[in-house]
Amino acid sequence: MGFLSSILHWLSNFYDEYLGFINFIIRRWEQVLEYTANHFSLVLTVMFFSLILWISVGLLISRYEKLANTAFGIGNILFVIPSISLFGIFITIPMLGLGRTSAALALILYAMMPMVRNVYRGIKSVEWPIIEAGRGMGMSPRQILFQIQIPMAWPIIFAGIRVTVVMITGIATVATFIGERNLGRFIHHGIARESADMIIAGAVLVSVIAILLDYILGKIEDKITSPGLRKEQEQS
Amino acid sequence: MIVLDKVDKIFPGTTVPAVKQVSFQVDEGNICVFVGPSGCGKTTILRIINRLIEPTSGDIYIKGKKVSDKEVNPDHLRREIGYVIQQIGLLPHRTVEQNVALVPRLLKWPEERIKPRVKELLDMVGLDSNEVIHKYPFQLSGGMMQRVGVARALAADPPIMLMDEPFGAVDPIVRGRLQDEFLRLQKEMKKTICFVTHDINEAIKMGDHIVIMNKGELVQHGTPMEILTEPANDFVKDLIGVDREIKLLDLTRSSEIVDRNKEVLGETREKDCFISALDPVQRALETMMKNDSDIVVVRDGEKEIGTICWGDIKKLINKLSGEA
Amino acid sequence: MDFEMERFISALIDRSPPHALVHLQLVLIPVIIAFLIAFPVAVLLTRRRFVKYTDRVMTFFNMGQTIPPLAIIAVFFPFLGLGREPALFALTIYALLPIARNTLAGLKGVPQEVKEAARGVGMSEWEMLMRVEIPLSMPVVMAGVKISVVLTSGTAALGALVGGGGMGAVIFAGIDFFRPELIVAGTLVIGAIAIILDRIITLIDYMLTPPHMKM
Repeated sequence: MGFLSSILHWLSNFYDEYLGFINFIIRRWEQVLEYTANHFSLVLTVMFFSLILWISVGLLISRYEKLANTAFGIGNILFVIPSISLFGIFITIPMLGLGRTSAALALILYAMMPMVRNVYRGIKSVEWPIIEAGRGMGMSPRQILFQIQIPMAWPIIFAGIRVTVVMITGIATVATFIGERNLGRFIHHGIARESADMIIAGAVLVSVIAILLDYILGKIEDKITSPGLRKEQEQS
Repeated sequence: MIVLDKVDKIFPGTTVPAVKQVSFQVDEGNICVFVGPSGCGKTTILRIINRLIEPTSGDIYIKGKKVSDKEVNPDHLRREIGYVIQQIGLLPHRTVEQNVALVPRLLKWPEERIKPRVKELLDMVGLDSNEVIHKYPFQLSGGMMQRVGVARALAADPPIMLMDEPFGAVDPIVRGRLQDEFLRLQKEMKKTICFVTHDINEAIKMGDHIVIMNKGELVQHGTPMEILTEPANDFVKDLIGVDREIKLLDLTRSSEIVDRNKEVLGETREKDCFISALDPVQRALETMMKNDSDIVVVRDGEKEIGTICWGDIKKLINKLSGEA
Repeated sequence: MDFEMERFISALIDRSPPHALVHLQLVLIPVIIAFLIAFPVAVLLTRRRFVKYTDRVMTFFNMGQTIPPLAIIAVFFPFLGLGREPALFALTIYALLPIARNTLAGLKGVPQEVKEAARGVGMSEWEMLMRVEIPLSMPVVMAGVKISVVLTSGTAALGALVGGGGMGAVIFAGIDFFRPELIVAGTLVIGAIAIILDRIITLIDYMLTPPHMKM
């Protein structure tokens, strides 16, 4: 019996030491729910605008090659700016200030690079003979875009969307420093109060969400890719 | 059926015309083959006909209608013209069925008309429609893909077909088979076909009419027999190559030189080498060599109509080279 | 936005330099450690005996990238305490993936016929790796290192949260006191660090690239 009780003792020590964050989550579950909901609504807002804006830009620059270099130049600059700086710069603009608009705008800018790049790459990946055949069959430029280029580019575009969602979910945590009440707040306040449980709770929750989103989107990606394209990728 | 009148094409940024003052006519139900080295403008001509390329000057008429007019919508024009390219360009994200049904769907055919049409077409080009209809292009062999490409071009039953090296991407054995099958198909379809190749042998085999091009200019045009027997200049002679006589044998049907003497037939039956009256004389020669015989029996369907012996072939060669 | 030029220049000249030095360490140390881990691991994963582990190991590296940077930075803090170590540790994890991914891609991109030729002239597997595969894949590997550097120099701004210092300290001060001058100054220095390191790696890459592949 002594053996068993020592195991139990060790387990409870381990729990207190490393899994205390579970207690924290259970104790503060209302706040967890609120922060999670805020987190998701921010990510959804950002993705909504990003999809409309950046897919259009991606299609535009794949047609007007000269714009592509400019777009990628801007994207690269944005990529070098740390997320916290971008948030910070937005809140000092008088019209925006602390709050969701600043957070959303900064995140939309961050979404530019992965989205635009993948739309462009996807459209460019469609080989010339296929477009030539489409034209030769009498498809209009619009039909070629919607029936050939976008469907064939879709796996690459979707991969870009997936990367963006995961990235935005992660960077959204940093928006806690400009007043967003999301999962980043547990980490933020946890550091301030030196509460390990709080930090780990925040980090684990947001990581689990990011990994879960990545996994789910990966599954969706497999589902919606035409078998004709899927097998081609596997073979090459 | 198809008329080109003094067509010029100068690509932007270049000074040398890709196509220079080309005029010719393709008669209804004929296969007209454009042949020449790469860069000679043959593909450009083909793409000018369906306006994938707009000519710099000159006019194109199809069935008497001037299609190079700005008022003619090029997309609509192309839906009336079958188009096959060497790279095939099947849509990889769509099934064989969706690929073949592409043009009928663009033309907004009712679905109940499309389904049977697709099956009919696949069977027509020698594919097992039940087996391939739901497959994706990557699941097909090169030869099968090319057949699907032809079926797709034929889908809306266009009176005109443009084919750019359609059998160029498959190995020689499959190519030969596809050529034979296509010619058989053409006998029933009677399409007006413009066919581009760099291979003079293919041109001679497929063409009712051959157009030889070099550096954007039309060098010579005529029937295969005319081209072979009366090459216009050294360029054409070089293109034809050294085995001109053998090529001529390929153009003459066995029925033209068959010896219809029934007595000869009786003597040679045990030799067991047969050819069809429609086969080229070259086939007779090949059959002789294969069976180590100097005589073959010619059949028209089931009926034996006579024989061809080595002497008959020699006589033909002498006659043809005399003409040259 | 009220932006005072004087304050901006003072932030850039007086306040930034010591933080910039720390920031440089926060970038260089993690990237070098990450390279020392990711590069050999990726090379091993392309050897015949270990190819079967590639997917599993890459999933692990990928996961490191999926976890939000703030979470990684923060999560080591309770165990390693306040200071440079938790930041360095977290940033190293973050820098691994681009290097590993590009090393794999680079080695796989070496044409089969080149490898056949190398085997044909009697190179051992080790010789082939050192003289053919690694030199030929260097440009792709270095591209991965560059991505890591840019990524790390941005993420390192969060290091200030756990007492790691660096330019993040300047930026966070700007946010706390609503001083755009500090934020912009901090961002510019971070951008400059990223670009300078990028140039230096380009130079190293150029020196390591076999002469015939140079443009």
